[in-house]
Amino acid sequence: MNRDQMIEELSKIVGKENVLFSETDLLLYGYDASLFKAKPDCIVLPNSTEEVSQIVKFAHREKIPIVARGSGTNLSGGTIPARGGIVIHFSRMNRVLEIDIKNQRAVVEPGVFTLTLKNQLARYGYVYQPDPASERVSTFGGNFGENSGGPHCLKYGVTTNHVLGAEIVLPDGEIIWVGGKALDHPGYDLTGLLVGSEGTLGIATKLVLRIVPKPEAVKTMLAIYNSLEDAGRTVSAIIAEGIVPATLEMLDRLTIKAVEESIHAGFPLDAEAVLLIEIDGLKDGMERLAERIIEICKENRAREVKAARTEEERAQLWAGRKGAFGAVARLRPNYLVCDGTVPRTKLPEVLTRVMEVGKKYNLPIANVFHAGDGNLHPLILFDERNEEELKKVHLAGSEILKICAEAGGTISGEHGIGTEKKKEMFFVFTPKDISAMRKVKRAFDPEDLFNPGKVLPEVQT
Amino acid sequence: MKKEELKAQLYDEIAKCNRCGFCLAVCPVYAAVGKEWATPRGKNALIRAIIEGKIDWTPEIEESLYRCTGCRLCTQTCFPAVETNQGVLAGRECLVEKRLYPQVIDRVVEAIENNFNISNEPNINRTMWMETMEGVPENRFQKEKAEVIYFTGCVASFYPMAHKIPQNLVRIFHRAHVDFTLLGGEEWCCGFPLIQAGMKEKMKTLKEHNEKMVQKVGAKTIVFACPSCYHTWREMYQTDAEPLHSTQFIERLIAEGKIIFQDGRERIVTYHDPCDLGRNSKVFDPPRNILKKIPGVKLVELENNRQLSMCCGGGGDLEMIDPDLSSAIAKRKIEEIQKTGAEEVVTACQQCIRTISGYARKNKIKLKVRDITEVVLEAMSA
Repeated sequence: MNRDQMIEELSKIVGKENVLFSETDLLLYGYDASLFKAKPDCIVLPNSTEEVSQIVKFAHREKIPIVARGSGTNLSGGTIPARGGIVIHFSRMNRVLEIDIKNQRAVVEPGVFTLTLKNQLARYGYVYQPDPASERVSTFGGNFGENSGGPHCLKYGVTTNHVLGAEIVLPDGEIIWVGGKALDHPGYDLTGLLVGSEGTLGIATKLVLRIVPKPEAVKTMLAIYNSLEDAGRTVSAIIAEGIVPATLEMLDRLTIKAVEESIHAGFPLDAEAVLLIEIDGLKDGMERLAERIIEICKENRAREVKAARTEEERAQLWAGRKGAFGAVARLRPNYLVCDGTVPRTKLPEVLTRVMEVGKKYNLPIANVFHAGDGNLHPLILFDERNEEELKKVHLAGSEILKICAEAGGTISGEHGIGTEKKKEMFFVFTPKDISAMRKVKRAFDPEDLFNPGKVLPEVQT
Repeated sequence: MKKEELKAQLYDEIAKCNRCGFCLAVCPVYAAVGKEWATPRGKNALIRAIIEGKIDWTPEIEESLYRCTGCRLCTQTCFPAVETNQGVLAGRECLVEKRLYPQVIDRVVEAIENNFNISNEPNINRTMWMETMEGVPENRFQKEKAEVIYFTGCVASFYPMAHKIPQNLVRIFHRAHVDFTLLGGEEWCCGFPLIQAGMKEKMKTLKEHNEKMVQKVGAKTIVFACPSCYHTWREMYQTDAEPLHSTQFIERLIAEGKIIFQDGRERIVTYHDPCDLGRNSKVFDPPRNILKKIPGVKLVELENNRQLSMCCGGGGDLEMIDPDLSSAIAKRKIEEIQKTGAEEVVTACQQCIRTISGYARKNKIKLKVRDITEVVLEAMSA
């Protein structure tokens, strides 16, 4: 089918003003927050499940690839239209459909920003726990596709633990429901399968989310270290004690320096690492727990531990963490956020090896990450315009994932595989493992039309 | 502007955009449009693609770059603080060279070139706002030498809806015994609309003329009630006189005991930070300090305030270029105002008032929108 016909057909479904196809628009929907680019054939902006279904039915009939997209904040190329086709942009389907406090559920459309729902919930003293760094703009459709995480996932789990059901448009355009408001649905756990499938199996058009009351109390602490190893050991020691903090974040020396230069969060410049530890829950017993954490920090040679006494002090401690990315981003024009997970006990050793990779390729690497669940985010700093550097960045990123895999970890904590890490899938899966996943993909999408060319590498037979 | 110049000036700046997309959360244009071309990220990507020769200027790029209010909330919330608006304005300069720009701009440029103001009135009528005012002195507030110059600005001078601002401000000056003058027909447009249009080079004569006139009066201070004139003056002009926004000047008058407030009505008021005054010129406290001094006023903040204030929709020539889009942005602003429960919103910009009250009037929303000068004068007289 030629493009003019395609545009005409799609315009019948969503209206002319909601089909984009100029050269300019094709360029604008060819990128996301990763280093990859491609070009779609057109972009459609539907306003209802029915419209999405019609678009997909049309594409299925004509064998045109489809990529669903929210805010395009994803970091592994998940929304790059690798084989062209239609990009479905969900910005118009951005309604919060239901907030059911009594049953602790919310129902949203895929284009709702995470923080928009959280702000609405705040009025009721409720919260949706996952907190991806991009929460102010990441959409629920995107969170669903990528199984997004965030600092609080240490205690509360990632997106999949908070999505209870969804309305799904399948690759042939049929509309189905998986899961629902109840906690444990019979039959296959298709919700679990679809969350994190990066838009390769189905497109969520409504999502049922778990919401919970806001914790009664919060306590935030900052521990400062002269050595990265001591900070890493503290992380393991806290968890080994049976304590599950809400967040356990680590910042390394380069990050501390950058933060201090830009926002003066009060981190000592000669420190090698800081840990930001937050506990939440019932007021009773919280002080005792905080004291125990401070003891553990000191037992592991923290040179200083500060606890926030007021909401202002808490905000100040978090300012350093929240501003860290920004501060580091000012050091060089661009950064690649790597995303690997290792067993907590391996953190010190892996961090050392990560820094060696930086030295090998002569690229600065800063570390700001979710230490509690062993989820590393080395930021490799570079200039995207320098092709030589760009090549080195890809090699260094891959090598870091190799290190994570060798340490018994894996190649993604929360950013997904997308286009970026397909070949690294072999670091953690055998060809047989991949083939098993491929069977699932074929069961849902035999024509390979939903986000083709993502997640699964080709297996040589 | 030529592509080479665009590259020399902005490539390094634009290259800092990592396409993270955080700006999508705050951009008022994206919130209204919902398409990638409306986003700051998209605008950076387009400028970059032009610089790298991956795309040529298209009508779609024109549409994108001319739909930015210049509010700079994107930069405020951007990790590497990419100055997207600089890229937008430079891009507009390139588009002008290609003759790809909204035709409505020609009307304003023609007005400025013929009349030295943005209206169709001859500039001699710059004091027309006095027609509906009582007690205007014979010199029409103009003298050869004065301590202070009040730079009225085109909108307040020529558009009846905004006439209250100069009327109130000169009354305040008069009561506070300020030695001030207007430039009258010798006040020319500051050049802000030309910068926004992508025709910065055309403001040279305006700037030279205004600077000369200010030097001639020998004033120590030049006061603006228009945040955009004030911002333009601070960024582009060189004179000995200290530029102050009216709120800064009034705050000083209060401190010097020259303005004294009588008792006022008990009421809840919220304050909207105009982008060019707040975020872009960093004047946040003077208007708040003034409001707090007024008896009876209880100030409640908008959810997004100070450096995070949301644009009213009237910035960057947008109201002229795309009134529907400007309205859609104003709608969000009004919803935010209504959430505070305040019975009146005070601001310090004629354009914000025009955009907000214009939308409220057209949509029959009951909302009191007032300039701070009106509130100050009322409290002095109460």
